[in-house]
Amino acid sequence: MKMKRTLAFQASRLFLGLGFIGIIALAALFGSQRYSASAQSPSYVRVVHASPFVGTADVFVDGAKLLSSFAFGTVTGYVAVPAGPHKVQIALVGKGIGAAVISETLAVSPGVVYTVAATGADPSSLSLQVFIDNNLLSPGTAKIRVYQLSPDEGSVSVDTGGNTLLSGIGYQSASNYLSISAGTYTLGMDSSTNSASLHVSAALKANTVTSVFAVGLVHGSPNIQLVTAQVQGLPGVPNTGSDPNALPQDDNVQPLSSWTWLVGFMSLLLIGSGIFMRRLVAKR
Amino acid sequence: MHTFRLRVCLLAIIVVLALSACDMRASTSEVPEARISHEDNANSASTVLPIGKTDPAPNPVRLIIPAIAINATIEWVGKKSNGDLATPAQNPWEDVGWYNLGPPPGERGSAVIDGHLDRPGGYPAVFWRLRDLHVGDEVRVTNTTGKTLRFRVTRIALYPPQKAPIQDIFGNGGGTYLNLITCAGDWIPSQHQTTLRLVVYTSLAKV
Repeated sequence: MKMKRTLAFQASRLFLGLGFIGIIALAALFGSQRYSASAQSPSYVRVVHASPFVGTADVFVDGAKLLSSFAFGTVTGYVAVPAGPHKVQIALVGKGIGAAVISETLAVSPGVVYTVAATGADPSSLSLQVFIDNNLLSPGTAKIRVYQLSPDEGSVSVDTGGNTLLSGIGYQSASNYLSISAGTYTLGMDSSTNSASLHVSAALKANTVTSVFAVGLVHGSPNIQLVTAQVQGLPGVPNTGSDPNALPQDDNVQPLSSWTWLVGFMSLLLIGSGIFMRRLVAKR
Repeated sequence: MHTFRLRVCLLAIIVVLALSACDMRASTSEVPEARISHEDNANSASTVLPIGKTDPAPNPVRLIIPAIAINATIEWVGKKSNGDLATPAQNPWEDVGWYNLGPPPGERGSAVIDGHLDRPGGYPAVFWRLRDLHVGDEVRVTNTTGKTLRFRVTRIALYPPQKAPIQDIFGNGGGTYLNLITCAGDWIPSQHQTTLRLVVYTSLAKV
């Protein structure tokens, strides 16, 4: 009799132990599926040299040289930079950071995409203009945006084939994005202060975003020109989830949730059995 | 005494039956992983012909992640009509989708592969266990030439879909990256999507 009681007691201990292990395992499983925080995303910045006053230059960010021999009218690709404030300094090529003619601190936000333009035709007007870019694009289309960075061009409009695409774009500002069918266009730029139109041929490929920069001087050197830069249009994030309340589409598939429920049920059953056996042993 | 024995026997039978049922359920729950087999089966899997590009030479056909037992066929996907990255169409729950308007894995830039988290009803799909990856885990991609490229996880992040850093995910040209993306968070019935997206950033491993 005593041996049976000992056996039953040990069995109850085993059931209780297994039950608690099951509960702990489930807790660990669900605990491991949660993320506490997301890593901070970098910002993305491209730089445009649109200052007729500053010749070929070196660009420093936070004291380190980012670009060497950066020529007027050049547009860089996007580069990742940590979010937060950054000191940007521009100096004539080879003169060193101590001879910077533009020195500004720019605050950039995580995940945001920027175009930073060095502008100004004289020492008193040198500055950095910051634009937030959006390269999201619908499938099969192209997108265009115009940046007016010519100091004496005034407000401009852009047309193609006699149709006005964009208008009222003032100095140091950018147009809205215009979605347009892919194709090759001759873009004309008309100015409120300049009677001569500027033209540029642009192949607006499908799934690309084209930027048109007006840089230079109408009356002076370097002379005004239209510079284009094209990047791939980007998609939005996919929807890869499914309705958890929908009926299954595949009858062969068993839900993980049922499995976890069963483990939970078994754990509770084992614990209950252990308690029951202990009471049974105690009664005898 | 007889009653005691009977009770113990009944209890034992119940426990055994319940354990058997649990075992059966656990076995069938592995069905979704039939196409998400372990690394050993990597070379024996069939290849679904990719959709999209005419020259498939450098493009990916299979994704292997040993740490979470993924071995999946890669379909080639573009954008949906609303501009979002499309998802695999041929085998939506087992395959993954490479964004074929971006660079292929192994070329400079950000290659992106997506996959479903779950199926209707909440059952696991190919990227169910993507959340279990850790920084440093290996991600392999086999391309149409049979070459296997190895990437290492560098960062894992969760974003609300409207705030996802698109340029960071799709447009980082500063290196050779492969980013994996799936859904996470809670289901929002009115929006027919989950609250978050999980992005696993990886970088080409130095040989």
